Amino acid sequence: MNMNMELSYIKGAGMTKFGILRKPSHLLAYEAASEALHDAQMSMDKIDAVVVASLDWFFSDEKQRHFASMLSSVFRTNIPIIRTPTGCSSGGTALWTAQQLGYDNVLVIGAEKLMTCKTESITDEFMMAAESRIEQLEGLNFPAQNALVAQEYMLRYPETTTEHLALIAYKNHCNALLNPKARFYGKPVSLEEIKKSHIVASPLRLYDCSISTDGAAACIVSKDKTDIKIAGSDMCTDFLGIFEREEGTSWEAACISSKNAYRQAGAGPEDIDVAELHDAFTIVELIGYEDLGFAQRGKAYQKIESGYFRLGGKLPVNTSGGLKAKGHPVSATGLAQINELVAQLRGKAGERQVKNARTALAHNVGGAGGSICCTILKKMNGAV
Amino acid sequence: MVRVIRWVCEKCKRKWIYPVATCIYCTGHIKKAVGRKTKVIGNTKVFVPCPPHPIIPYNVLILKDEHGNKMPKKTMRDYKVGDTYEDAPSSDEKAVAIVKVKYDFFEAVDEAFELIGGLKLEPKARILIKPNISLPMASYLGAVTNEKLLDALLIWLLGKGIKKENITIAEQSFFAPLEKCIEKSGIQETLDKHGIKVTDISKAEFIEKKEREFTFKASKLAYQSDLMINLPVIKTDMYLGLDGAFENLVRFLSKENFEQLSADKKKAAHALAALPKIFPKFITLGDGSIGMQGNGPAEYGEPGFFNMVFAARNPVAHDAAVSRILCLPTPPFVELAGKLGMGEYDAGRIIAVGNEIDAVRREVKLPTGSPIMKKA
Repeated sequence: MNMNMELSYIKGAGMTKFGILRKPSHLLAYEAASEALHDAQMSMDKIDAVVVASLDWFFSDEKQRHFASMLSSVFRTNIPIIRTPTGCSSGGTALWTAQQLGYDNVLVIGAEKLMTCKTESITDEFMMAAESRIEQLEGLNFPAQNALVAQEYMLRYPETTTEHLALIAYKNHCNALLNPKARFYGKPVSLEEIKKSHIVASPLRLYDCSISTDGAAACIVSKDKTDIKIAGSDMCTDFLGIFEREEGTSWEAACISSKNAYRQAGAGPEDIDVAELHDAFTIVELIGYEDLGFAQRGKAYQKIESGYFRLGGKLPVNTSGGLKAKGHPVSATGLAQINELVAQLRGKAGERQVKNARTALAHNVGGAGGSICCTILKKMNGAV
Repeated sequence: MVRVIRWVCEKCKRKWIYPVATCIYCTGHIKKAVGRKTKVIGNTKVFVPCPPHPIIPYNVLILKDEHGNKMPKKTMRDYKVGDTYEDAPSSDEKAVAIVKVKYDFFEAVDEAFELIGGLKLEPKARILIKPNISLPMASYLGAVTNEKLLDALLIWLLGKGIKKENITIAEQSFFAPLEKCIEKSGIQETLDKHGIKVTDISKAEFIEKKEREFTFKASKLAYQSDLMINLPVIKTDMYLGLDGAFENLVRFLSKENFEQLSADKKKAAHALAALPKIFPKFITLGDGSIGMQGNGPAEYGEPGFFNMVFAARNPVAHDAAVSRILCLPTPPFVELAGKLGMGEYDAGRIIAVGNEIDAVRREVKLPTGSPIMKKA
């Protein structure tokens, strides 16, 4: 089913640096929002509503529920503030939700503070987004879920190997070196290190997994015509347990949401100049290439080998460094993708600029394909 | 042996992993489908620990059954894609069935009994069930038997042809009127559904039983059945360390006898160790569906959410396995009973069926109030 909604524009975008940050999540949200408002040359009093993506963390030292009211305090406002918790796709969902509301200007924020507890606790936190009575009881944390996806894919398409996954990770790390806001900015990682990193859940290694981080990102969705149009946008869901689904090597929610977004934008995969894909695990980026129509089923490995998705290639993916190397502050991720694509379309991506970028796609995934948002942005005034 | 369960609309064939009552698409009738022959279609070895899964590496398999339905399965054993996954049942005294409760208590009970070799029941058999309804607390707090488990057990027994008039549920409370405990626990609805009442042990006759240096006054009810099913709630206990098969039996004693035996704490552990010997052989069905952690066994503890049931022919093996799973040391009374030849107290020698002990081991909040227990 498809929403026939009035499409909107991005008026401003902003984000914090991703890393181990000192500020609590509400002040990270404030920082990202300030940057977005400044970018839009707007004051907060012009905002009609806020849609915020953030999760309630069990082990966090913040112990802060009722985030909507918290932001009312932080932004000194009484306007509606709505939360959209859909795991890692919360940011994309917040952006999609903002477009459904019918307001003139909506501030969309994603903020997360993860780095307050041990890795084991973070693993458990993430695992709470898996099905509770079957997956969680059977230890199916997210590295394990995605490892099983990778195994199924490589059994079905044996030309694809872990070498291809390593190349994806390496690409994203190289891109992060050029992104001052990325967690791995200034921290090079070699292909050798990636291939030799220890196994987390076979066949996935440490560097096949995205890095947890704190951070926030924001954008302003507006009815005012600006240089960045949201040309297509859709959000789809799928059964929470991966074992409930027939197909493991393709995520139906990605296929449906991208198809709808392409149709709304009057575009196809061949029209996309730059994309941010949800590489929570390298295998997710790989199957994303195929689900979004950038490669044929089972053939993504060819384009990985040829450098098709590298900076300087035909379709650069994750120029920001991706979740892999920029970092993955869960709810902020989807909006950080939008930040990167806005910078690309405006010609402000510095050393990682993609030439003549006019159409961009963001692919934001919750869980193991349980909820997926696809957004297509178009540059409206002139070329870069 | 492992069960893959789906609830299927007979009309439109939609499937759920949850027990839905009707189909919201076509209002068709929902039927439960249980697959039992499973093959491994995926496997990963996991090296990332987390609090509910602290022991690594462990394997997660994806199993597919004869209906094409899939489910994940954690195991410490290595499997390859294409292997058949099977659990061999065992009726050995050292066997403890460890079953995870997902959405269906009946299947959990059926699986637990199947894993310990099944129970041979004559249609005219008299069954005595000894749950824990000893405290006026809601069952979701983990202090008393989960009424869903009791309901499942009753459905199971009735399904085997046992007549409800031959089923006795017996309990007493040393702390509050039994009626109040029944009311607060939420068990009344289950009792009403099956038309069975709880027999108050304190109002029945007691008979004297001697074992070693102890004189017990045990309820005559315990000797008037063909099969007793001991249905303890699994709880950490700040006095005993663990409430399981052994502790649940004390409420077969008269209150006076219980108080007399508990007065001397050192002797109490010895008395508890001897207690199972005075009863006819019984089956333990341990309720770890919620269970309790921390300073149990009552209001100072908190729900454990263990999501497991256990079954064993031997109470020593049962409590030894459960204490190992909860990372508790073997309770002294269990070890003593084991050394007296009453059963296997070394968790390393227990035959775990259904799930390996290490696959379900998890840290729980310890009963810090107990001076005799240290973390294993």
